Amino acid sequence: MARFWVVGEPNADGSISKLSTEVATLARSLADAAGGDAVGIVVGTDPGRAAAELAAFLPRVIAVADPGLAGHAWSVPAAERVAGVLGADPDAGGFVMLGAGPDGRDLAGTLAALTGRGVLANATAVRWDGRLVVEMGAFGGKLVTSSGFTTPGGMVTIRPNMVTAEPLPTPGVVEAQAPAGSAALPRVAIVEQVEEAGAVAPIEEARIIVSGGRGVGGPEGFQLVGELAAELGGAVGATRAAVDSGWVPYSQQIGQTGKIVKPQLYLALGISGAIQHKVGMQTAETIVAVNRDPDAPIAEFADLLVVGDLFEVGRALLVALRERSG
Amino acid sequence: MHIVVLTKPVPDPAAAAERLGPDLRLDRAASPAVVNGNDEYALEAALKLVEAHGGEVTLLTMAPPSGADTMRKALAMGATRGVLVTDPALAGSCVRSTDEVLAAALRELTFDLVFSGFDTSDGNAGVVGAAIAARLGLPYLSNAAKIEPDPAAGRVRVRRITPAGHDLLEAPMPALVVCTQVLGEPRYPSLKGIMSARSKEIASRSLADLGLDGATVGGAAATTEVLDSRRPPARGATTVVRGSAAEGAAAIVALLTTRRLI
Amino acid sequence: MSTPPSGHRLTEEQILLRDTLRELADARIAPRAADIDRSGEFPEDIRRLLAQHDVLGLPFPAEHGGVGGDLLTVCLAIEQIARACTTSSLILAVQDLGSLPLRLGGSEDQLARWVPRLASGETLICFGLTEPEAGSDAAALRTTAVRDGDDYLVSGTKRFITNGSVAGLVTIFAVTNPEAPRHRRLSCFIVEVPTQGFRVARLEHKMGIRGSPTAELELTSVRVPAANRIGDEGDGWDLAMRTFERSRPGIAAQAVGIAQGALEAASAYARERKQFGQRIGDFQMVASMLADMDAQVEAARQLLYTACEVIESGAPDAARWAAMCKLVAGDTAMRVTTDAVQVFGGYGYVDEFPVERMMRDAKITQLYEGTQQIQRLVIARALLGRGRD
Repeated sequence: MARFWVVGEPNADGSISKLSTEVATLARSLADAAGGDAVGIVVGTDPGRAAAELAAFLPRVIAVADPGLAGHAWSVPAAERVAGVLGADPDAGGFVMLGAGPDGRDLAGTLAALTGRGVLANATAVRWDGRLVVEMGAFGGKLVTSSGFTTPGGMVTIRPNMVTAEPLPTPGVVEAQAPAGSAALPRVAIVEQVEEAGAVAPIEEARIIVSGGRGVGGPEGFQLVGELAAELGGAVGATRAAVDSGWVPYSQQIGQTGKIVKPQLYLALGISGAIQHKVGMQTAETIVAVNRDPDAPIAEFADLLVVGDLFEVGRALLVALRERSG
Repeated sequence: MHIVVLTKPVPDPAAAAERLGPDLRLDRAASPAVVNGNDEYALEAALKLVEAHGGEVTLLTMAPPSGADTMRKALAMGATRGVLVTDPALAGSCVRSTDEVLAAALRELTFDLVFSGFDTSDGNAGVVGAAIAARLGLPYLSNAAKIEPDPAAGRVRVRRITPAGHDLLEAPMPALVVCTQVLGEPRYPSLKGIMSARSKEIASRSLADLGLDGATVGGAAATTEVLDSRRPPARGATTVVRGSAAEGAAAIVALLTTRRLI
Repeated sequence: MSTPPSGHRLTEEQILLRDTLRELADARIAPRAADIDRSGEFPEDIRRLLAQHDVLGLPFPAEHGGVGGDLLTVCLAIEQIARACTTSSLILAVQDLGSLPLRLGGSEDQLARWVPRLASGETLICFGLTEPEAGSDAAALRTTAVRDGDDYLVSGTKRFITNGSVAGLVTIFAVTNPEAPRHRRLSCFIVEVPTQGFRVARLEHKMGIRGSPTAELELTSVRVPAANRIGDEGDGWDLAMRTFERSRPGIAAQAVGIAQGALEAASAYARERKQFGQRIGDFQMVASMLADMDAQVEAARQLLYTACEVIESGAPDAARWAAMCKLVAGDTAMRVTTDAVQVFGGYGYVDEFPVERMMRDAKITQLYEGTQQIQRLVIARALLGRGRD
């Protein structure tokens, strides 16, 4: 019987990460298709809340409380605890699903070495076809490959916004388990945790992104971008040029050396759409661009291109949106 | 200090000529290879650190023999030497083989730090660094925006980017660090560096040299396989709207309404 | 068109160097080109950039702090920079030209004295041969260098000296033996400036390469130690001729670079500009022009690369090869830039687009370092032998 493990990631405030709830929803649908089951694992110093929140999406969640995690980087010791849970399970196969965010990736890498399982990373689609079939983008999205495992089990990391999280009609149960398995890998101490003003939710999780490029001209220009994002209930993104100029922090950079995002709406202001940026956002469901240049590369793949000055059009759009919402 | 930087040759994203061959593996002949862009940030960070603390930078790559050519630019940037792990059995390796082979190569070296780039432009996996650290029992510090080793104390501090801001991590060396773009722009190779790159050593290691068996690592032992590939579905035609700003805004609102985004 | 041309005859280092400089030029020099032309000011920032990246060290031997690039390597660098900005490429080309007599005929002592700071780029050197009455007729120099104890006193006027106002070293050709046969009258000196009696009389206002200072230099009894003389008395003419064998390819490289830049600009425009419902590149008259431009640039380039290899290998007819590559490249640059303006139509005439500047810049490659007519004389002489002397 195919078992789909979901490794949940607790947020800093103890809640479960949005991406984990998406992964959980995916795991459930795969389990249904495969005639198997989906089980969550949440490891933390005090995982109760996160486990309970994940249980809204999975029939069974194993919570492993490890106070020894306190003050240490999470992913490596958490991976060891996850390996402990997997090791104790008689089902030697089974697939392990994780979010493809920074912590998820880190845990996936460590877990891969601990368990010898294969990894298919940054999946954009997963389905069950008698075996697990994982779709990933290759070469900056020019190709979509379908891959599978040659071994009985495997690990898959899932990009944000691949599925919409759907809770169960009734929440599942949380089962506490004592930490098991070895704790031999070095734990890295966290000396200090710094919150930065203006730090935002991970942009990969946003459903709507309003993004500014070189054409925005400066931090003042990004105020308009921020207002539009707020009006649409979305996040602010930026191209590399804007980040390099210091107008926006790196965590909001979208593209080849920044984040890959798949929002429902990507509104690109003053962005040419060159390949380095394109690979970061080309799979967005709806792409709207505002640009003075009708021949900018983004014209090739946007759904709607408004030719004009981004500030004039942007302000007009802000007015129109505010009027609409009354 | 001795820093090992993991580098990977990838098809040049700017050339836009990548494709898979009939065996569904990367057709390396079709596209010129360059050093993975994100690895250059790791290399730049390493070069700056050995300039400040003294020491050397070794490049470590697992690639076909042509990987030596791609290493030239990295050597021209200032790395001291390269180690190329190459073996026909490694063609078609999965992530598990890659990290096992690189870990084996690292066991032969003495180092203070291993740097890895954030992910690769041709596979985006980003998990190899963590796997190698686990195999070697090295402290693992990722998402680095700043790296500050203290060679005298044998410890390293890393500023790790988090959603809320950053964490300051500390660990004893040797350690493995995954680097980000925030560490700083890679330098252009100096012309003196370019001219002297040829005289720098690139040592070659085969699987046998590393005590590994082609039956248990490499293409034959791949844990994953590509089943097929296709072009992504084409997006629809682009609607272009010119006219006044108000008209443009109205067009956007109409589209968002139709698609139920607002 | 950001893919560089094929490097099938280039070494790995040359390919890497070419690609690195291409990226550097695109990122840091091209954005400055229009401004440099408009302001007419020497781009000190570009000089610093080139010095920082060892570019000015390319022509110099490694044992004195240079990069030790061969002739082809230096030309590759000039070509890539010229593609972005002709004025900027001249900084390297003249550092090469001005120092060639020293490198060809200087003693170990003299090399050790001057090469390190030339290679680091902290000091620029210029080539002082041309005078108001001695352009093509270079042997008709009037500047004199009269022996006075352990020194010479140098007096005369030099004209059209590139970088004459920003150089710290001036390579001066002067008459030391007025009675000697025509080609033994001249000697070559390195003059360290500023110095008593040396002054920059004026700067020219030019059609192109406007950011490059073209100076008239006045020397009035400038005291130059005999230790600053390159080679023996009378060696000047020979040093100048041997210099041209290596510096003319540099100008050819500049011309090929200018032409390539113009070709790329025109091609990009032809791909995007639409008239009569289609892109203008699809009209045969335009496509035909661009095709000819591409073929001509490639031909000039390949001739240049071959010339570099032949000259570097010490061939006896090096002068012929130098003249040929300069002749062909200069005429190509003029033709290609003129056609590039044509492709742009009216837009090619306004300074919002770079091709009018490239056309103005290209003209000098038909004029300096030996006019095209002089190049033809050199080639004809090699072909036909000397009829009269």
